[in-house]
Formats: sequence, C-alpha cells, structure tokens
Amino acid sequence: MNKRISCLLAIGCFVLCSRSWAELVVEITKGQAEAIPIAIVPFSSPEAAAASFDVAQLVGNDLARSGRFKTTDRKDMIEQPHTGAGISFDDWRRLNNDYIVVGQVQPTGPDRYQITFELYNVLTRQRLLGYQFSASKQGLRTASHQVADMVFEKILGIRGAFATRIAYIAVLGSLPHRDYRLIVSDADGENPHVVMQSNEPLMSPAWSPDGQSLAYVSFENRLPSVYVQQLRTGERHRVSDHAGVNQAPAWSPDGRKLALTLSTRDGNLDVYVMDLATQALTRITDDPGIDTEPQWSKDGQSLYFTSDRAGGPQIYKVGIQSGDKPRRLTFEGSYNARPRISPDESQLAFVTQEDGAYRIATMDLRGRGDVQVLTKGRFDVSPSYAPNGAEIIYASRDRGRGVLALVSADGRVQERLVSSEGELQEPAWAPF
Amino acid sequence: MREYLREHGWAVVLSVLLHGLLVGSLVFAALISAHRTPPSVQPLPIDAVVVSSQVLHASQAARERAEQEAAAKAAQDAKAAQDAKAAEDAKAAEEAKAVQDAKAAAEAKQAADTKAEEAAADAAKAAAAEQQKAKQARQAAEADLAEQAKREADANAAAAKAAEVKKAAEAKQAAEEKRIADAKHAADERARADREAELRRQLADEEHRSAVESGPMRDSYIAKLRNKIQNAWIKPPSASVGLDCLVAVTQIPGGEVTSARVTQCNGDAAARQSIENAVYRASPLPEPPDPALFERNFVFRFHPDE
Repeated sequence: MNKRISCLLAIGCFVLCSRSWAELVVEITKGQAEAIPIAIVPFSSPEAAAASFDVAQLVGNDLARSGRFKTTDRKDMIEQPHTGAGISFDDWRRLNNDYIVVGQVQPTGPDRYQITFELYNVLTRQRLLGYQFSASKQGLRTASHQVADMVFEKILGIRGAFATRIAYIAVLGSLPHRDYRLIVSDADGENPHVVMQSNEPLMSPAWSPDGQSLAYVSFENRLPSVYVQQLRTGERHRVSDHAGVNQAPAWSPDGRKLALTLSTRDGNLDVYVMDLATQALTRITDDPGIDTEPQWSKDGQSLYFTSDRAGGPQIYKVGIQSGDKPRRLTFEGSYNARPRISPDESQLAFVTQEDGAYRIATMDLRGRGDVQVLTKGRFDVSPSYAPNGAEIIYASRDRGRGVLALVSADGRVQERLVSSEGELQEPAWAPF
Repeated sequence: MREYLREHGWAVVLSVLLHGLLVGSLVFAALISAHRTPPSVQPLPIDAVVVSSQVLHASQAARERAEQEAAAKAAQDAKAAQDAKAAEDAKAAEEAKAVQDAKAAAEAKQAADTKAEEAAADAAKAAAAEQQKAKQARQAAEADLAEQAKREADANAAAAKAAEVKKAAEAKQAAEEKRIADAKHAADERARADREAELRRQLADEEHRSAVESGPMRDSYIAKLRNKIQNAWIKPPSASVGLDCLVAVTQIPGGEVTSARVTQCNGDAAARQSIENAVYRASPLPEPPDPALFERNFVFRFHPDE
C-alpha cells in the first residue's frame, strides 16, 4: 500500500514538477506599422478659447501628421477630464485608446498663460508625463509643439521635432513675372515668414548648424551667387560670386566653413570648401565630370557629393584632406543624386530613378549598404532629414503643382504637408 | 517507685509525648479555625440580560436573605468551633493535670521511700492508688493509641480511595487516548486514500494534458496567441532586428490579462512599453481549444525578424 503510494507520488511529482520546465513561451517575430491610438482631450481654458487657440488641437495635429499616432475624435469622447484624477481608464480603453493627454491652459497675467498637461498610458494606467510651463499668447503655438514633442518622445523613444522649423522656396506667378520667395515656417508649415524675395531665382537654402542663418543661391544679379543671411536681423552677405557657377552651399558641422560647387573657366564643376572668415577656397575634387551637391560628414572630415564621372550621376564620399581619392557609394540604378545624411550618419537619403520616376531612397551606411526606396511619386526630389532623423521632408508634385511631403525614415509613414500658395521647392529642415 | 519507673518509664514518656502532641494539635486546630476565611461578600459577576425591575428587586431580596443566612451560619460555625476549642482545652487541661498528678504521686512515692516507717497499709493504699492512677494513665495512653491507629486507618483508607480514583481516571484517559489515536488513524487512512485518488486524478489529467499538449491542438492554440499578439503589437522605431524581450503574462480563465511585465529586454523604454501594451491590447487572449491547455502564467518572447 505504502509502496504503491510513494510510487504514485514519485510519478506525480515527476509529471507535475516537470511542468515548470516546459513553460509556455510564445514567440513574437512581427508587429504592426499601425498608428498608436491616443486621445488628446481639449485643454480647459475660457481665455484660450477666447483667444481662439486650441492647444490640444495642435498637439493632436502634430501627432497625427507624424503618421505614428491616430487621435480620437472629440465627438467620441464621453467625458473631457483635465487632470489625471478625472480619467476613467476603463472607458478610455473601451474607446480603444492606448494613451491619453489631459491638460489645462490658464491665464496667469497680461499675455501670460500657464499650460499644464499629463500623459497617461490607458492600458497600464501609468502616469508617464506631467509638466507645467508658461508662454505668451504668441508662444502658445510653440508651446503646443513642445507638448507634442514630449509626448512623441515618451511613447516612441525618439525626440520630437514638431517645435522645429523648415525653410523652402516658393515660386509664384508665371514667366516672365515670377516671384521667388525664401520662406521659413514651423515644421507643420504654419506660421510662414518670407525671409527673402526676388524676381530672379532663389535656390538651395541651407541651415547653419546653430539654426541662426541660412545660406542660399540667388540669381538677383543675373548670375548665381551664394549669400549668407542672419534670420533674426535680416543682415545678409554675399560670400561667393566667382565667375561661372556658384551653387549648392553646405555648412560644416562647426559652422566655420561652407562646401560649395564652383566652375572653372571651361565649365567643369568641382567641389570646394570655403573658410567663411577669410573666404579662402580649398579645392576638394578635381575631375573632368560634374562634381556637385556636397554634404558634410558628421565629423566634418569628409564630404558626400554627386558625380557623373562614371557616366550617370552617383554618390561618392571623399576626405577633405588633400590627396584623398573619392569612393563611390551607390551602385544600384543609373541615377543617384543629392545625398543627405541622417543626423546620426547611419543613413543616407538621396534621389534615385526608378521606372523613369524620381524617388526618395535611403541607403544603410552602417550595415551592408541596403537601399530602400521610400516614396512612390513621379517627381520626388530634394530630401532633407528632420533633426531627429525620424522623417525626411522632400519636394513632390501633386496634380502638376510643387508641394512638400514627408516620409518616415523607415518608409512606413507618408504625409503631405499643408502647402501654402505657389510651387514649393527645396525644403530644408532646421536643426533643433 | 524507681522500680516502677524503670518498669513503666517508657509508658510515662510516651504518655507525656502523646499528651504534648494532643495539646499541640488542639492549639493548631484552634488557630486554623480562627483564621478561617469569612463568607464571600464579593458581588456576583454581571450577566448582561435585560430583566424587569420587579425581577431585579425580588432577586435582590433573595440575595440579601441568602447573605444573612450565610452570615448566621458562619457565626454559628464560629461558635461551634469556639465551643469545640473550649472543650478540647478543658480536656487538655485535665490530661495535663493527670500528668501532674502522676508526677505528684511519683514524688509522693519518693517521699514515702524516704520515710521508711510509713505504714504498709498506707503504702499498699498508696501503691494501689498509684497503680490505679498508672492504670488510668495507661488506659488514657491506650485510648490515644487506638485513636491514632484509627486516624491512621482512616488516612490509609482515604489514600486507598484516592489511589482508586486516580487509577480510574488514568484508565479513562488511556481509553480516551486510544479513541483519539483510532480516530486519527482512520482520518489518516482517509486522507491517504483521498490523496491517492487525487494523484490518480491529476495523473489522469496530466495524461490527457500531455496527450493534448503534444498534439496539434497545442500548436493551434499557440498560433492563435501569436496572431493576436502580433496584430496588437505596434512596433516603435527602435524595435527592429536584434530586439529580444521576454514579457511575463498572467491571465485568468476567459483570457483576461491581469498582468504583463517585461522581465528581460535589450530594448529601450519605448520598446518595453509597446510590448506590455501589446499584451494588454490583445486581452482577452484566445481561449484554448481544450481547457487542459490553459496556462495561467506564460511568456511571450518578442524578437522581431524584420
């Protein structure tokens, strides 16, 4: 009897105890590229309402435009809490929200507002953010972009770039009376300011690393010259007006030099580096083909550029020390031009030709050099990285009109930027 | 007289000792009775029951009467004790006198010895008187002895009775212990049987379970779980090839997730949060095709291949 029981016990224990060895583990190897559902509850504020400024609306627009979030429609909100204590998590979860932002805008003085907001994870009920800051009425827009930045960063782990700016060229009218404008706006295209206006072409705006100045090409004297303009004061200097071509300026990471394309007397284009203090030139490339569109490496020791030395345009990289031999980076396709590097230099964006169309592509600079074509348009050109590297802004065409568009650096998300009037060209995203 | 003493000295000594003992015990008894505790005057413990005032009044009167009676009885008892003590004292005095008389007689005899010329009749008479007195003393001593013997016998009897009671109690306890032991044994047996039955049942369940687990049903269940989680997981930009995270999940029957906690993870905070959210978003988890496949706790391993 006892023997039988102990035998049973032994077997039982073996079977039951061994259960823990075979714990159920389910492997997850795929995920969705879906947008994350988030509710941005209107911020309470009779004053702000009177000022017709809706912080929550702006935050929601930013997050939605990134393509990584989908915001809950206000008419679907059962309640509109303004603090975390008022959130009924079960209700918000039933409405399929993963996150919720609540907040308030309160006037604290003449032209002074205090913004308070909190971010909660609806699924875990965790409070992820809680901030309070003040702004003038004019600063409410920037403050709202900053709220969106913080929410974006907390959830995605990437610094938000909503409170940054972009520069671009708008072309209005038609020949022979064209109006060219250099415009700086918020990253969402709102709040545009004309920085420079001309009846002759304006081209190639480039941000200084400190975000205080723009370099660009102007044909205001009928021939192309490179100018540097301070945004705050409007003060501008012509820094290059050599005979022939002066184009494609690019600031060095330390802000002391410009790389640009100049031409020799016989019309051959090469890349030079100019010391901004002395305007002394250093020739970087010397090839009978066209070498242009230089872009600095992160360490300021090399330049990426476009060259047709091998036939069609391809992207090369060369050290700025004399005697360095350019190295070709792109081999796929017959047309790869206009290189731009991501802020961490892990990726190169450029224009490639595919099926007769121009599209934005990226190349992995750290791994095996994998190329991914991100866009599907017919004429997608002039890529420029957001300072967080998450998105690329570029120029595209929509029903024959030049517009600005965004694509996430991984190609998952594409968005059209609200376009102001005119043909929009050559967007350049400002640093943080 | 000296001869007499030689012959009967032990009796005289014994008599003296016994009388001393008797006197001592009487004094002791008197002392004890004097220290007897008085009747209790402590109030009765309160029993909180609601009663009418008449009842309370009647019971109060009864209690007072009882107390009076008790006091009277106590007084009576005290008087009786006092009387007994007086009697005993008198008796003790008498006996002490007897001893004294005996002593006086002895002295007289000694005096007679010293006066050799005393008359034989007187001597005989004195001797007779002496004998008579000695006899009386012996009788008293014998009576005392008898009393002592009786007391001892009584004590023995009481001891015997106590032993008997003790024995009976021991027997009763032994019987009780045996009964408890028997009951425990029976309970153990039952428990053992229950355990065996339970083990058999579990083994049967396990057999069923392992049969199910090694079969296609388990694969189908895992596939369902995987699909639901993969559909619920919104990958953040940092979640790419190389990410490897384990999340410990607790569900209740019906599939509702009660806890999802990333245990090991080489990703950033955004990746961890996206993983925990995926599990909560997938709640309720699919139900297993066979209840035997239900696991309260299990692990999802997130390691994207793209």
